[in-house]
Amino acid sequence: MKRTKFVPALLVGLLAFGVYACGGGGGAGEEGDGGNGGDGEEQVVEIGYSGPLSGGAALYGENVLDGMRMAVEDLNEDGMEIDGQPATFEIASLDDRYLPNEAATNAQRLVQQDGVSAIFIPHSGGIFAAQGINTDRNPFLLGAYSSDPAILEQENPLTMMIPPRFDNYMEPFTELQMERFGDRLGLIPTESEYGQEWTDQISAEWESQGGEVLSNNGIDYSETTDYAGPVTQALSEDPDVMFIGGPSQPTALIVEEARNQGFEGGFILMDQSKIEEMEAFTSLENMEGSLGVAPLSEVEDPGAEAFVERYAEEITEDRPAVSEVAYNYQSVHILANAMALAGTSEDPEAIRENIEPALSEVEEEYQVANFPDGFTEEGHLAGEVLAVSLEDGEFVPVEVPQMQ
Amino acid sequence: MELFLQQLINGIALGSVYGLAALGLTLVFGVLRIPNLAHGALYMVGAYVTYFALVSYGIPYIAAIGLSAVVLAVVGITIERLVFHPLRNAPHTHHLIAAVGVLFFLESGAQVLWGSEFRQMPSPFVGTVEVLGLNIGLQRLVVIFASIAVMAALYLFLKKTVPGQTIEAIEQDRTGASLVGIDANRVSMMTFGISAALAAVAASLVAPINLVFPTMGEALNLKVFAIIILGGLGSIPGAIVGGFLLALAEVFSSTYISNAFGQAIGFVFLLVVLAVRPTGLFSKGV
Repeated sequence: MKRTKFVPALLVGLLAFGVYACGGGGGAGEEGDGGNGGDGEEQVVEIGYSGPLSGGAALYGENVLDGMRMAVEDLNEDGMEIDGQPATFEIASLDDRYLPNEAATNAQRLVQQDGVSAIFIPHSGGIFAAQGINTDRNPFLLGAYSSDPAILEQENPLTMMIPPRFDNYMEPFTELQMERFGDRLGLIPTESEYGQEWTDQISAEWESQGGEVLSNNGIDYSETTDYAGPVTQALSEDPDVMFIGGPSQPTALIVEEARNQGFEGGFILMDQSKIEEMEAFTSLENMEGSLGVAPLSEVEDPGAEAFVERYAEEITEDRPAVSEVAYNYQSVHILANAMALAGTSEDPEAIRENIEPALSEVEEEYQVANFPDGFTEEGHLAGEVLAVSLEDGEFVPVEVPQMQ
Repeated sequence: MELFLQQLINGIALGSVYGLAALGLTLVFGVLRIPNLAHGALYMVGAYVTYFALVSYGIPYIAAIGLSAVVLAVVGITIERLVFHPLRNAPHTHHLIAAVGVLFFLESGAQVLWGSEFRQMPSPFVGTVEVLGLNIGLQRLVVIFASIAVMAALYLFLKKTVPGQTIEAIEQDRTGASLVGIDANRVSMMTFGISAALAAVAASLVAPINLVFPTMGEALNLKVFAIIILGGLGSIPGAIVGGFLLALAEVFSSTYISNAFGQAIGFVFLLVVLAVRPTGLFSKGV
């Protein structure tokens, strides 16, 4: 009888595990000593961060944080004055394990305990949760690092959306790949909410330009043991172009698998996948015909080259600097300049109003990734966006027009 | 037809990994009655050991897998001694909680020690072979044949050698086995060692077609539990058959029904088996 008794106990255990697997693990890491001076000779300005620092997306979160830290280093070196007093910047970071509700809780903690007036959150779920509370009793400016255009639809007055919105890519990507490879689009996107959103939009655009969208073979990239199955399935419908993307490294494996199984067409890469990261996991030859966001080495911003070098020197040589590092880096610079112009590090509304004028204050060497040329009414740092197409082993730049 | 055959190969390769990982889990359950939720974490550690043996020390792939199996056996035995042995007379929930603790410890430890980045394990078996118009990755063939070899070796060990038979004896009747002089302590350690070694082999085989990262064991963890419940807790043939069954069901239902269904099929199976035959397909009907 012993055995039967175990089944319910085991199920309880599995359930507990399931809760953990969805992100119940790990602990919060905090740095900075809190306290927001203002009366002394030197004031300490804390900038908040809530994002994944443990679990499957930890590396992504660390990248964002690295970018923010590098900016803080510059700011402290240069010495910035806010309201006539020298300011020292610090980062207060908390782990939210990619969970929306954790992000909101963290945001509240950061405002109440550390006295921050601006918080960076690098995932759309957390951003939406934070948008629900950032205009309440403890207001804060939200540095939103996610390319989901729905962030702007909330009409949140204290949001600063950092990266280019992804709906920009649909039209040019569809046009180019359809012309170059053909009109049958296969789909193996990652199955996150974000991936779903991308898939819907690219499918709609592909169809509106007269192409045929094949069946959706989406999988959870980080929970798949072998990619061969979904790739075989997608290829059985004979696509000309494949829409893929999720974290860069598994995306590279899908490219590799597709080539191994004989696929000769092109790829459309979701903006989450970075060509420079994929390169370490599959050959450029396999990626021939890919269209995706430009690697930092290809953007034309004045500070980009030096930034890539500095990242390799100071942070790591094991992996290249990617956009999440660069975008958050330059955004901290924008934020600090907005604080200086507003003459306060504590009033999020005043800081928000000074973001647009702050853009021209950021020094050229700190402009590293498609530096924005404007700040929209809805709260978006908008500007030129660059994509690249891999043609005969060369990166060919593709201009992406901005939608408003 | 070509699609069917290609997916059949994919399913068999996936099934061998599932089976191999599930075997270790079911052994520990059979002998110690511990649902070792940390099994997926041991699998992950096994992959890292092979990775570093390959990349940092330049040990050849097959030897690196062997080394990883030995290292993980030691890790398994250590965990048994330090964590589960002291709890041997405690209620079952304590084992569960302890196992979750080990899981956290190993995953966070891996993240601190080795960082959270994805790593790719190089394998000498690159490229594809063409059989009957199908493109089959060489590494997938290695996965299939190596898994079958390891399963066969395990079977021979359990049936034909004295230490192996002591494992079976304890599994069948702990008190009886102790009465005839089998050292239950030694068997517990041996079982944990073998279980962790099997996880290491499974991980090292599949890693070259996937990636190595601290949470790589999580997805597999849930699946192997489904497999051993499906096959019958503690049953060796149950783990193997369950592994292949789940993998083939996943692959074919995604191919012919829908992708979403393919991912849920394992749990549909599980519910049906629990409703119709709660002890699992291969249990001896206790």
